[in-house]
Amino acid sequence: MKTFHQIILALLYAFNLYGYTDNNNSELLIASERLNGSSIQHAFGSSKELATQATVRLLRNNKLIALGTIVHSSGYVLTKASSCVGAREAETSDGEKYLLKIKKRYEETDLALYKLITDKNSFQVINWDVDCNTTEGSWVLAAHTNLKEIRIGVTSGTPRKIGREGGVMGVLLTTDTSPVKGVKISEVVPQAAAYRAGLLEGDIITEIDNRRVKNQDSLIKIIGKKDPGDVVRVKVSRKTEIKKILVTLGHRSVTFDLFNRNLQMSGPVSKRKDNFEMIIQHDLPISKESMGGPLFNLDGKCIGINIARVDRVSTYALPAYLPSKVTSLFLEKLP
Amino acid sequence: MNRFFLHALILFVSSLLLGADVVSEKKWFSETPQNHDDLKAIQDRLKLILSGAKKSLVAIESEDGAGSGVIISEDGLVLTAAHVIGETGKKMKVRLPNGKSLPAVSLGGSEISDAGMLKITKKGKWPHVQIEKMNSSKVGDWCFAIGHPGGFDKERGIIVRLGRVIGKTEDTLQSDSRLLGGDSGGPLFNLNGKVIAIHSRISKEADQNFHVPIECFHINWKFYKEGKLLTFDKIEKKGFLGVSCQATEEGLKILNVVEGSSAQKTGLQKDDILFSLDGEKLDSREELTILISEKSPNDAVTIEFRRDKKQISLQVILGVRPSE
Repeated sequence: MKTFHQIILALLYAFNLYGYTDNNNSELLIASERLNGSSIQHAFGSSKELATQATVRLLRNNKLIALGTIVHSSGYVLTKASSCVGAREAETSDGEKYLLKIKKRYEETDLALYKLITDKNSFQVINWDVDCNTTEGSWVLAAHTNLKEIRIGVTSGTPRKIGREGGVMGVLLTTDTSPVKGVKISEVVPQAAAYRAGLLEGDIITEIDNRRVKNQDSLIKIIGKKDPGDVVRVKVSRKTEIKKILVTLGHRSVTFDLFNRNLQMSGPVSKRKDNFEMIIQHDLPISKESMGGPLFNLDGKCIGINIARVDRVSTYALPAYLPSKVTSLFLEKLP
Repeated sequence: MNRFFLHALILFVSSLLLGADVVSEKKWFSETPQNHDDLKAIQDRLKLILSGAKKSLVAIESEDGAGSGVIISEDGLVLTAAHVIGETGKKMKVRLPNGKSLPAVSLGGSEISDAGMLKITKKGKWPHVQIEKMNSSKVGDWCFAIGHPGGFDKERGIIVRLGRVIGKTEDTLQSDSRLLGGDSGGPLFNLNGKVIAIHSRISKEADQNFHVPIECFHINWKFYKEGKLLTFDKIEKKGFLGVSCQATEEGLKILNVVEGSSAQKTGLQKDDILFSLDGEKLDSREELTILISEKSPNDAVTIEFRRDKKQISLQVILGVRPSE
């Protein structure tokens, strides 16, 4: 019976996904007229030009890893620090390539300031809109990673703080009844921290960093105080053996996204998407490699920096006052 | 030619009555913006009607999941998706944007179109919005989706996403407004602030999502409101006629008659136009499916149809759906 329903559902889906609409006297809106179509992009005029010119591509081994925001005419670029590790080269919208040097990292905001190595002093610079009066339902745009097109959407939700998420091992636990005192692993999340370290289903965790683990709560408490990237020493009892295993903790959201239906369809999201003092949310269809680039309003003012791709449709941006504040001390000293 | 003249006359008269309004409405309602001012007009319009639209949104919570819905009457009738209500007569909870939780009960709907209804059972005057009339929305209209993606989140609030209607058929409306799980059942508005569809399914492409057009609700309003739910289970077990149709302006045109079915035995043919069943006018394929699935095998129904300009009335004894 169930399979019958599934077949019907599958048919309905298939119909709708593969051109059923075409057979039904309905014409589909042509691509250029859709929200992100070329006609609508064109209507943004000079704001579109500015968005592509004040954005750079950041490359590692010739591969795009992030976008950057030109904040000074001598070639200073602000970007998302945790996406940009190992960036060697920057490419501007005119196709020119420059070597890069890191100048500063700002951990709290996950920003990093780079300098393009050149004597040129005429880069197109963004114009911060620090008053942050962008209310929900405002047009926003950002350069596409090809630096020729833009992507379009609107802001939504309440600007807000995103709290810190502790590190996780990526295991599901169960209360164990075996004679060994500890907490039993009932499931290991594929590809997560514990999986990569070699923990197995059925292992009983007895100690973490030399502290006895009596129950699930005590384990969660110890791990929750650690950050993603921290290494913990885990002692487990596996059948008759005692094993000591080092686990590099992962990000909560990334780890448990594997169980989240919304995120299974998301495609890649940013690793760090937590612990921001303030964010504005929008729906631009951009990839995690577009983080670090500037976000503009209809008038071409820079209202923020894209800082985290969160799911298949949502992105967080740091409102302009944050990046402008953290870089002002440094940039004011420049000639 | 006549029709053109009539349109021109209507436009002329209404422009006299409304003055500049007709011109400015065009800018933001369904046109492709050409410049900054056109874009600004769309943005201004969205901001003007957004807060009213948001007040009518509810988060729907039940044991097996979360969705969204929209209140469309003062006494608390809520439109949502069939897959959000699941079954009829189920006790559910809805949450207003301020976080207030209210008791509700699921009414009817259809698993084919995914239209669903529920009713707030607490007495009160609930904030509500209007639904758009039959056959008003069209491809190219600007629209916006609101919902509670991932469930109610007071700090984040309601999420809005702008887009355009990119396709519309009898049973599906497609838009490029982005959607996530939890948005299901939430409303899609046009820029007049009226509900034109209900979020149903996401597609593989983030910019081609599926909604239940408001027409599905209009046509089967009574059925849904009385708490009747068209399920795949019912379609499978209840009466079977044996035709596949396409909706036309005159009625449902038969595309195919199933070999050995009641329809074939009674003499229904390809290209016959069905226009009523037991006196009920047929406006959509879904309505035909609903009416048939209310009957059992061996029940008799009266079908009126047109063949070569002749109007014919026939009694058909319904059969059983073939297992293959």
